[in-house]
Amino acid sequence: MTDPASLSHLSDLPPEMLEFTILKSTTALAPRLGRVSLPGRKDILTPGFLGNTSRGAIPHISQDNFRKCVGLNGIYVPIEDFIEKMPHQTPPVFQINGSDPLRRFIALPKDRLLVLGARRNPPIPSPAANTNTEVALLTSVGFRSMSSEYYTAAARKLQPDIVVGLADIPFGQEAVGTRRKDKMSDRTETWMRDLIAKRNTIDKEESRYSIFAPILPIERDLQSWYLEHLVDDMADKIQGVGIYDSFLLDSLPEELHHLPRLSFDTPSSPQALLRQIDLGMDLFTVPFISDASDAGIALNFTFPAPRKFSDEPNSRQSLGIDMWQTEHALSMTTLTETCKCYACTKHHRAYIQHLLSAKEMLGWVLIQIHNHTILDSFFAGIRHSIENGTFEEDFTDFNAYYEPTLPEKTGQGPRVRGYQFKSADHGKPAKKNPKAFRQLNGEVKLHAIHGQQPNKKPEVGDMIDDAALVGLIDIEYMGPEIGVEGLDLKDHKA
Amino acid sequence: MAPVPMPSALTFELLGKCSVTKARAATLILPHGPVPLPIFMPVATQASLKGLTPEQLEDQGCKLCLNNTYHLGLKPGQATLDAIGGAHKFQSWPHNILTDSGGFQMVSLLKLAKVTEEGVQFLSPHDGTPMLLTPEHSISLQNSIGSDIIMQLDDVIATTSPDLARMTEAMERSVRWLDRCIQAHKYPERQNLFCIIQGGLDLDLRRRCTAEMVARGTPGIAIGGLSGGEEKDAYCKVVDTCTGLLPEKKPRYVMGVGYPEDLVVSVALGADMFDCVWPTRTARFGNAITHQGVLNLRNAAYAEDFGPIEDGCECICCRSQEIGGLGITRAYIYHVTAKETVGAHLLTMHNVYYQLNLMKRVREAIMEDRYPAFLRKFFRQLHDDKSKYPNWAVDALRGVGVDLMSD
Ligand SMILES: [Zn+2]
Ligand SMILES: [Zn+2]
Repeated sequence: MTDPASLSHLSDLPPEMLEFTILKSTTALAPRLGRVSLPGRKDILTPGFLGNTSRGAIPHISQDNFRKCVGLNGIYVPIEDFIEKMPHQTPPVFQINGSDPLRRFIALPKDRLLVLGARRNPPIPSPAANTNTEVALLTSVGFRSMSSEYYTAAARKLQPDIVVGLADIPFGQEAVGTRRKDKMSDRTETWMRDLIAKRNTIDKEESRYSIFAPILPIERDLQSWYLEHLVDDMADKIQGVGIYDSFLLDSLPEELHHLPRLSFDTPSSPQALLRQIDLGMDLFTVPFISDASDAGIALNFTFPAPRKFSDEPNSRQSLGIDMWQTEHALSMTTLTETCKCYACTKHHRAYIQHLLSAKEMLGWVLIQIHNHTILDSFFAGIRHSIENGTFEEDFTDFNAYYEPTLPEKTGQGPRVRGYQFKSADHGKPAKKNPKAFRQLNGEVKLHAIHGQQPNKKPEVGDMIDDAALVGLIDIEYMGPEIGVEGLDLKDHKA
Repeated sequence: MAPVPMPSALTFELLGKCSVTKARAATLILPHGPVPLPIFMPVATQASLKGLTPEQLEDQGCKLCLNNTYHLGLKPGQATLDAIGGAHKFQSWPHNILTDSGGFQMVSLLKLAKVTEEGVQFLSPHDGTPMLLTPEHSISLQNSIGSDIIMQLDDVIATTSPDLARMTEAMERSVRWLDRCIQAHKYPERQNLFCIIQGGLDLDLRRRCTAEMVARGTPGIAIGGLSGGEEKDAYCKVVDTCTGLLPEKKPRYVMGVGYPEDLVVSVALGADMFDCVWPTRTARFGNAITHQGVLNLRNAAYAEDFGPIEDGCECICCRSQEIGGLGITRAYIYHVTAKETVGAHLLTMHNVYYQLNLMKRVREAIMEDRYPAFLRKFFRQLHDDKSKYPNWAVDALRGVGVDLMSD
C-alpha cells in the first residue's frame, strides 16, 4: 500500500470508511473469520456480537460498568428508542450540538463501534402498516411512523458509524402475499437509494456513515430486482448487509460476499447462533442474553463443549443456571467456574440467589455482566475453532453435549418496562408481571419510619409504600400504561 | 455514675473542633478500616444498594454502609449468614457495615407488631405466624451478620406520641434492653455495640436516658426515635441536649437523617454520623440532589437540558468524557429514568456521591475552622433568598453561635 498511486486514490475516498477483512473462508455457506475495522474504533473480530441496547444502554449495565465489566467493541442502537416526541416536537437527541451527538448522549466510549437501525431487536410488531414512505415504529409512548426522509436526516445528524437501511418488513404478519412482497423489495430499494443519496450530500471532511443494506426475509425471486440493483448500482456504496433470514445467505449474490453480514434473524439459543455461523454469518446482536438475565438465568456453556464424561452418555447439560432456585442459597461457588467476569471473580451464587429473591436490581446487573462474558468467550471459542478447521466437529459435539434450548424461566423478572412487552399479535399486550405485593391498605404514608422523612416538596415527594420498603418493588414504568388503549392512532396518516 | 469500661473495637481520633459551633471532625477506626467523621452512611437494605455493585459504591467514596437486620434476618436468614461467614463475605464488601437492631422496621413496617417487656411480637410477613424479636435475638442476628457497628434493640414509638407515660416506659425499657444486649453480645472485641437514646421530644426523659446509657460505656452512642415527622425545632433541641451530655471521645450517631440541610445543622449541633434511605430511594424516582436543591429529572423541562446532573459535580456521571467521566446529561437521565434500571443506577451514584462529598467538605471546613462560613454559603446556595431559609435551621444555628441572617 505504499504505492503513491494507490495513496492518491485513497485520499479521494471518504476519510473514514468501514473495512471488512476476510481472514479465513472456504466456500460459500461455510463459517468464515473476519475483522471489521474503522479508524479510531476497536476492531471487531467475526464471528462476533454487538451489544443490544435499550434507550442507549445495555439493560442493567450502566455506562461505567460497560467500560469496566463488559468487553464489547460495538453496540446496536435502534432509533425508535429516541424519537417518541416526533412528529410534534424535535426529539432531544437531535438538539445536541457538536460532533457525535448520539455517542455523547448515551456515553458510549469513542473507540466503540456504533450501529444505528430503525427498530429494536427483535422488533415488536406494530398494528400500523408500513406505507410507501414510512415504517411503523414502537416508541415508549406508543406507535409512530417514520419516513425514509426522517431516517436519513437522523442518520446524518446522529453520525453513527454504520446505518442499517430501512427495510419494509411487516413484522408479526404470518402470511405475506406475493404482491406485498413485491412492495417490500420496491420500498426497501427506494429507501436504500434515499440513504445513499443523503450520504452523498455530506461534506468530505465530515464523518460519513457506512451503510448496511437489508436483505429481506423473502424468497430470492421476489427480491431479485432489488438485489440486482444492489449489485449493479449500489455495490460500491454499501459496506455491509443486514440479513433478516439466515437461510437466505444461500441467495446472497456473489458480488456481495465480501461484505460483513449482520444478522437480524433473532437467534433463540447458542445452537441457533452456531447454525447461522455455519452458513457464514459474521455479526449478531444476541437478544437472548438479556432475556436470560431478566429471567435470572446465568448462561453456562462454552465452545467447544467440554469433553463428555463417558459415564453419563445420555444426559445433556443445561445451557444455563436458574438462579431463582433456592438450592444456590448456600453456594459459595461462582456462576461458571472458568468465567473471569466481575460477577464470577467477586461474587458467588448465594449472593446472586439472594438478590433475585429479594428483588434487588443488582441481581440482574451481575447476571447480565456474566452472560455477556459467557457470549464473549463463546464467540472467541468459535473463532478459534474455525481457525483450527474443527468447527463442524465442535458444532456436532456442542449439540450432543447441551440441551437444545435455554432453561425455562421460573422466577419473576424485572418489571416489564411498559413498551418492552413482546406481543405475539398486534397490540395485544403479553402478560405483564402481576402488581407487586402490597399491604392491605395499598399505599400508606409512613412517618415513623427509619430513614424516611416526610417530604416538604410535593413535586419531589415520593410516596413510599410498604412493598418498596421490604424490597418487593423494583423499577416501575411510571408513565401511562400502553395497551391496546394506548395506541396513538392519530399520529398515523391513513 | 462513672462509665463502666466496656470492650470496644473502635478508635475515635478527634481531629478538630469548630471554635464557634459544636461541630467536630474525627477519624473513626473500625474493624474494616478508618472512616472520616462526620459521615453519611448510605443504606444497602438487603445487602445491596439499589443496583450498584460494591465496587461502584466504593467508587463514590463509601467506606461504611448500612444493612438492615430485619431484612437480612428474613433473607438470606441467620443460618445462611452463619454458613457463609457474615454479611461482608456475603455481599463481597471489604469495608465497614453498620446494622440496625431490626426492631424499628418491625414496628413501622408491620402494623400488627406489639411491644412487650420480652421483645417485639409480630406476624411473619411470609406466613403470618406469630414471631418474637428479643434483644438477645437481635444481637445474635447482628453477631451472625458480623457488622462493625451493631445497634441495641430499642422500644421505638413515634416522637409525636402525646402519651408521656408510654414514652417514659419506652425509654426505661430501652435502657433495660440495652443491658440485655450487652449481656448477649458475643463479640465485643470485633463488633461495636451502640446504645440508642430514647425519650421522644421530652428533654428531661432524654437527659435521664442519656445519663443511664452513657454509664453503660458502649463504644458509640446513637440518638434514636427522631426523623419521625416531628417538628424540626423539637428535633434540633433533642440533638443539642443529648450531644451536650455526651462524652467527647465517642462517636454520636443520629439515626434516619439525610436531608442535606438536616445534616449540616445536625453537625453544628455536635452529631457525627447519619444514615437515610432517602438519597438512594429518591434516585429511582428521578430525583437528583444538588446544591441548589432537589431536581426531579423526570420533569419534561429537563428533556432538552444537556448540562450535567449538577454543574461542577465530580461524580463519575457528571464529570465530562474529556476528563474520564461519563458526561451523563440531565436529558439522558430524563430519557432513561423509570424506563431502564440504568437510569436509577446513574442517579443513585450521583446522589451517594453528593452526600459523601457534602460531608467531606463539611469535615474540611471544620478542620480549617471555617464551619460557620461554610454554613452561610451552603444556605445561600440552597435558597436564593434569605426569606426562604427555614426558621428551624436559623434558630438552631443561632443557638450554637451562627446567625445566618446577619451578614
Ligand atoms: Zn461470570
Ligand atoms: Zn454528579
